This record gives sequence, structure tokens and C-alpha cells, in this order.
Amino acid sequence: MSARFRPASRRRSTGRAISVWLIALLVALVATVQIRSQAEVERSLVGTDTTSLAFLIDDLHRANDSLQAEAADLQARQATLRSGTSGAADQVLTDEASRLRAIEGLVPVHGPGVVIVVDATGLTALDLQDAINNLTAGGGEATAVNDHRVVVGVAVEQTGSGVAIDGVVVNPPWTITTIGDASRLAEVADLMTNALRADRRVRQATYRVEADVAIRSVISARPFVYALGS
Amino acid sequence: MSRRQLLSVAVVAAVALATGFLVAGQVKAQLLTPSNQVARYQALVRSVQDLEATNAGSRSQIAALRAQIDALESDAAGRSAVTQALQNQVADLRAHAGLTPLHGPGVEVELANGIPGPTTSGQASYLVNYQDVQDIVNLLFAQGAEGVAVNGRRITPLTAYSGSEGQVVIDQGPPQSSPLKLVAVGDRNRMVAALDDASALPDIRAREVQFQLHLSFFGSPDVPLPAYDSSLQIPHVSAI
Repeated sequence: MSARFRPASRRRSTGRAISVWLIALLVALVATVQIRSQAEVERSLVGTDTTSLAFLIDDLHRANDSLQAEAADLQARQATLRSGTSGAADQVLTDEASRLRAIEGLVPVHGPGVVIVVDATGLTALDLQDAINNLTAGGGEATAVNDHRVVVGVAVEQTGSGVAIDGVVVNPPWTITTIGDASRLAEVADLMTNALRADRRVRQATYRVEADVAIRSVISARPFVYALGS
Repeated sequence: MSRRQLLSVAVVAAVALATGFLVAGQVKAQLLTPSNQVARYQALVRSVQDLEATNAGSRSQIAALRAQIDALESDAAGRSAVTQALQNQVADLRAHAGLTPLHGPGVEVELANGIPGPTTSGQASYLVNYQDVQDIVNLLFAQGAEGVAVNGRRITPLTAYSGSEGQVVIDQGPPQSSPLKLVAVGDRNRMVAALDDASALPDIRAREVQFQLHLSFFGSPDVPLPAYDSSLQIPHVSAI
């Protein structure tokens, strides 16, 4: 009899053991998934949030488009130079010189853009530097404040008499003229003027978009004193 | 029921109970949603990494194209005095625009994140931000810098700074983060004196005290600046 019952008892016991092991395995699996998921969430979310990443992706797309446009322009210049015609190099160099003079603020320029007028008391050089940077970041290609040309490298400083551009005090109201992509600049100007109007120091902040605006002020070329070409 | 069977039932019940708690906890914690969040986040990170790789590739391509164009222009200048004169003009303009490497006396400035602390502004003031970089670069130019680079990215007349907390984006480059190294060539003594002036860079000075933001600098007899390797397009501007 015992010979008949023993295997049945062993089968039940084996079945229970398998059940216990299966359940234990499931518990271990669920626990592992939970712990790993939490760890992954914590690890991956350290640093940058998804909104910032989305903005970063947008910025990088725009940056890469600009870089590809620059590369295409350089390839066209290279092809012209490789054509080897006598006037090709002169034309490329003349065009490059004109473009660089405009970039460095050495010649008067015109084009589509925005004109922002800010009337305020107590705004500082840092406020003006921020405004100029915001416009450049928003597609500005040439800027002047109260008919003083501004590029990076031109000193915008706080003095006892107020804010000075290249050593000349510019009293409010400030008229900031920027040439560039007018639709992008209009968005920036809208945000800027809204923020400025919320500032107690500001009496008035307005902007207008213009199809063609001129910047006639220029910067004097400054030869290097210390820097040497490598 | 034998004692052994009772024990087995108890073990099964305990394991089942633990499973139940874990499953309930998982559902309650909405683990599936965070898992999706992780997947979405990882997809965003992958996009950023891909775009940064494309960005680096394009900048290398631009640097190589500029070098090739320079060589072709030099060849042409060797055949014509007029072309040579034009090339000299362009070389000077390129140097001032940051398109060629420079070296000379100058300063090196290091800026690094501080330590988190209580703040009323709601901003992570212990992190270096793009305004800090903008302020230092403006100070250096105002005090005699003739060229500046930030973490190897050359500043140009059209440079713009942007970025979120702890990240600094300069022109079309990828985001940079702490520590940041700024190098400037120019009037070394004036730049060092300006950086030493306690009244300069008031926001950074205040955060040095409050959050141990790190700002250090030293003058050097010769520092190198790389050439700008990104876009300098001005499609909307025409000379009058």
C-alpha cells in the first residue's frame, strides 16, 4: 500500500514546491522590474527635464539648419574658386569682404527688422546687454541703439552718467533697431516689451516691425595690438 | 492536515500575499507611466545625441571647407597682385570676425557651479548660466580683449548666448555646462584688474558668497584661441 501512496504524495509535494518556486520567481520578477524602473526613472531624470530637452532639440535643429546653410555657401564659394577663372577669386574675396564688414559693423546696412522703443528710468547696462543678446539670439543680424552700432566686442557699460555704448552715454528713451528675420524678431520683441512693461522702472515699451529699416551708424575698425595670427 | 502541509500552505499564502502587495504597489505607483516616461525621455536624449553628432560633423565640415577655401585663395593670390591685396584685406576682416586662430597675452577664467542652497528667486542660482558667461565676455571685451573663446568656442561679433539652468548654448554649438573655461587675448593687465575689481560682476560675486559659485582667473603671457567653426550668415542684411 505504502508503495502505491508514496509516489502520489511525492507528486503533490513536488507540485506544491513548483507552485512556491513559480510564485517566488514572479515576486522576484515584479520586484526587480519595480526597483529597476524606479532606479531608471531617477537616474535618467537627473539633470535635464523633458521640457528643456524639447527646447534643446528645437534649438539644435535650427542650429544644424544654419550650419548646413553655411556649409552649402562655402561649397559654392569653393566651386567658384576651383573654376580657376581670373576674376573668380577676386569676386569671392570682394563678396566676403563686404559680408564681413557688415557683420563687424563697419558699413551701414539695411533690411527687414524691428524697432523697439523703451522709455525708462534706472535701467542698467546689464538690461541693455540682455536686450541686445535676446535680439541676436532671436535672429538679429545687425543692431543699433540710439544710432550707435552694437556688435559683440563693443563695450556697453554702466557709468556715473548712465549707460554708455563705446564710451558714449545713451540716454533713454532707447530706440533699438535690429535687422534680421522679421517674424522671429517680432516674437522676441513681443516677449521683451511685455516683460519690460511689467517692470516698474519702465514707462513705455513698444515695438514695430518694418519691411526695410536702415542702420547707418558704423564702428571704427580697430587694429589688433596684442593678438597675433597663429 | 500534517504540520508540514500547514507550513507549505502558510509559505504559499505568505508568498501570494507579498505578490499581491507588490502588484498593488506597482499599479498604485503607476509604474507603467514612469516606464513610458523613461522611454520618452530616452528617445529625447537619443534625439539630442544624434543632433549633437550632426552638429559636430557640420562644424568639422565647415572648418575643413574654410581651410580649403583659404588654400585656393592663396593660390589665386600668388598669381595676381590685386587678388593678393584683396586676400590681405579679407584676412584682417576674418581675424576680427573670429574666423582665424589667434594667440597672444591674455587671461584664463574658470567658472564652475556652486553648492545648492536656499534661494528666494526660484532659480538654481548655484548653477552657472548663460548670463554669467555673457557678463564675463562683455567685461573682458570692455577691458581690452581682442578675442575670446568659451570652452573652445570662439566668440564672434554676432555671438548670442542662450540656455536653460546649468546649460550654456553659444551660437549654433551644443550646450556646455560647468566647468566653463573662458580664454581672452588682449590687454592682460586691464583684464586681470577688471576681474579683480570687487564691484564688477555683482551677480556672480553675490552667488560666490551665497552658493560658493567658483570664479578664478589668471593672466598668461601667451594663450591660444581657436577659429570660429560655425555659421556667420546674414541673409537679411544688405550693405547700403
